Amino acid sequence: MSNLDKKILFSMSVAPFWHCGRTIRGNSIHTGIALMLVIAMAIWHWGLPVLGVVALSALVSLLTEEFWNKVMERCSTWSDGTALVSGVMLACLLPATAPFWLVIIGAFCMITFGKMAFGGYGANPVSTVCVGWAMIFISFPIYMDPNAMLLQTDFIDPLVRLKYFGPDFMMNCVSFTGLLFGHQIGALGASQNLAIIIGGIYLLARGVIRMEIVISFIAGILLLGGILNIYNPEQYVNPFYHLLTGTTLFCAFFLATEFACAPDRAIGMWLYGLVGGMLVVVIRTYGIYTDGAPFAVMLINLLSPYFAMIQPKPFGVKQ
Amino acid sequence: MRQRFQILSDPRFRLVYNETRSFIDGPAPNKVRLNREGFTLLDGIKKKTKVYPGMLLATHPSIEKGDLHSPMYGEITEINYRSIFIDAVDPEGIEGQVEPVDVLAEGREGEELILQMKQLGVNTKSLAQDVDTLIINGLNPDPGVTWAEPMLTQNGHNLHAGIELHKRLAKAKNIVLAVPKGMHVSYDNIDVVYVEPEYPKSVNALLIQEVTGKENPEGVGAVGLHNIWSLGRVGVTGLPLMETVITIGSQTQWANYIVKNGMWIGQLLDFSGIDLRAGDTIVRGGPLRGECLDRFDRSITKGTTGLFVIEAGTVPPMEGHSPCVNCGACVQVCPAHLNPSTLSRYAEFANYNACLAEHSTSCLECGLCGYVCIARRPVLQYIRLANAKIKEMQEFVYEEKK
Repeated sequence: MSNLDKKILFSMSVAPFWHCGRTIRGNSIHTGIALMLVIAMAIWHWGLPVLGVVALSALVSLLTEEFWNKVMERCSTWSDGTALVSGVMLACLLPATAPFWLVIIGAFCMITFGKMAFGGYGANPVSTVCVGWAMIFISFPIYMDPNAMLLQTDFIDPLVRLKYFGPDFMMNCVSFTGLLFGHQIGALGASQNLAIIIGGIYLLARGVIRMEIVISFIAGILLLGGILNIYNPEQYVNPFYHLLTGTTLFCAFFLATEFACAPDRAIGMWLYGLVGGMLVVVIRTYGIYTDGAPFAVMLINLLSPYFAMIQPKPFGVKQ
Repeated sequence: MRQRFQILSDPRFRLVYNETRSFIDGPAPNKVRLNREGFTLLDGIKKKTKVYPGMLLATHPSIEKGDLHSPMYGEITEINYRSIFIDAVDPEGIEGQVEPVDVLAEGREGEELILQMKQLGVNTKSLAQDVDTLIINGLNPDPGVTWAEPMLTQNGHNLHAGIELHKRLAKAKNIVLAVPKGMHVSYDNIDVVYVEPEYPKSVNALLIQEVTGKENPEGVGAVGLHNIWSLGRVGVTGLPLMETVITIGSQTQWANYIVKNGMWIGQLLDFSGIDLRAGDTIVRGGPLRGECLDRFDRSITKGTTGLFVIEAGTVPPMEGHSPCVNCGACVQVCPAHLNPSTLSRYAEFANYNACLAEHSTSCLECGLCGYVCIARRPVLQYIRLANAKIKEMQEFVYEEKK
């Protein structure tokens, strides 16, 4: 049949008419797939309680977002999946046996103060997940301490050993392979290093996260950690242990790469990641916290507008 | 490398498509609609006037804009302030014919030739730029447009004539032809430079940068291969310019056609065998820089480079309420080193002075910002809006001063 005989309504749009196909929802789905690997590995280590924490955190995040959208009379945004992803990420930073009220408070504070207070997804100056984590971490340190929460296990917490007993003592208790497979006490998702690396590479390949940030974040840790280690191996641990313990890799792949809080141009991204990685080592070595990687992420988030100022001159503009 | 891997992974952005099929002659039009904005109608051109191919209908006061000729035998059905509508009729009984002129043999040069070409319907604005070096842009202008390769490699007669005529009328001292790297061409009457055929390199300002190594250098201009083809067409046929080459394409099929000026897009889409469904978008021009059309009776003009159907469902829909999420993809791909995200937000809230301060006028309008936007914001449209408003403001200030 000829087109001319048909009654057709065309959709009107504006240039460009092609699109790369990547959307916010698509990015959330990819991140979700990567996180599912992490969760699966966490269930393998810590059993079904993991599922409860993850589900509760995701549910509360979604409901909180919808609640604030209603209050602010804005369109519903649950379908872009970002609240769900944030909820799962927050759960990954909690101990597997976190009490339900802690999860609820954490998820509520995360979405309220880390996201909706600034106007929704992408408008927050500091990583949403880190804000939620920091609020409950500082308010309820005992309940957030995996070492205190996970008593029925043969694993040890390498960072506590490192902090209070020194590098030699820690290195005797754990092996690189063990750490890689998550044989350590830590946050439920953030200690599943192998799954995080595989998931992270998947996200890199999908273009959801930027490799400059991941590489420079890891490089920052290896750089400063390496210098300290060479300077005095008795006192400062091999930097690869920093990489595989605590929440380091989770921060490098999932949190530091949250693009709304990171610079967009190459030089800015490299500096952002490098400073972040170095801060992780500084906080762990000289600070009062055993881990502190999310704090490092929050600090570089705040520095990111300054890194973003490094930009080339516009095309054809004379200086 | 990073861009290809992460953001612009679409192979169509490589502007070489190994297209070897020659141009297909488009259908004889049933109806045409000619744009007459700015033209002065000739005496006696009114409703019910019978016209023949090549008959002069209207002239344009500017020497840069080609005059308007009828592309076929027909009868004028309507003339309004924007368009002339012609219906095809039987050639029997219509008197008049245009005698071909051998422009190449006549040997006119400079202003004289420019005037003659204008009278033969060729737009001479970019051909006769007053510059030292003129680069002929031999790349496909937009991804998806595929006529540049056949134009360069086949039908050399037409291109040769075009280059020859252009040499005679151009004000530029040096003329070079920029063609995709890896293409083996040799022309005896022009120097060739090779450029990376990667969109957005086909945008004139970026092509000039690629060839000269400078951003917006003084005295260098660019002209599209399409214009050279038009010149050559007049040189070869000796008739007024009545047609254009366009790529008609959809997701699955595409081909290049020589179509009459003013053709209705409905007839063309039918002819090319593209089946339309509700919700499709019809685009005139390239898929990244073109404009969309709402009805079948819109028409092809002399400068049109393509006609594309974007099938419903092949791109994520624009949802309207889509705030910027600061993902920075547009910042990464912008070839003009702008901050399209910031500019689009300034424009969204009508803060055009801030757009100006952030150099929105340096925008090259390549459309990559909208292509990569994960929030599906009309980024390019916002920047175009801002630039239009800035121009308005500047003109207003200028008038006030006078």
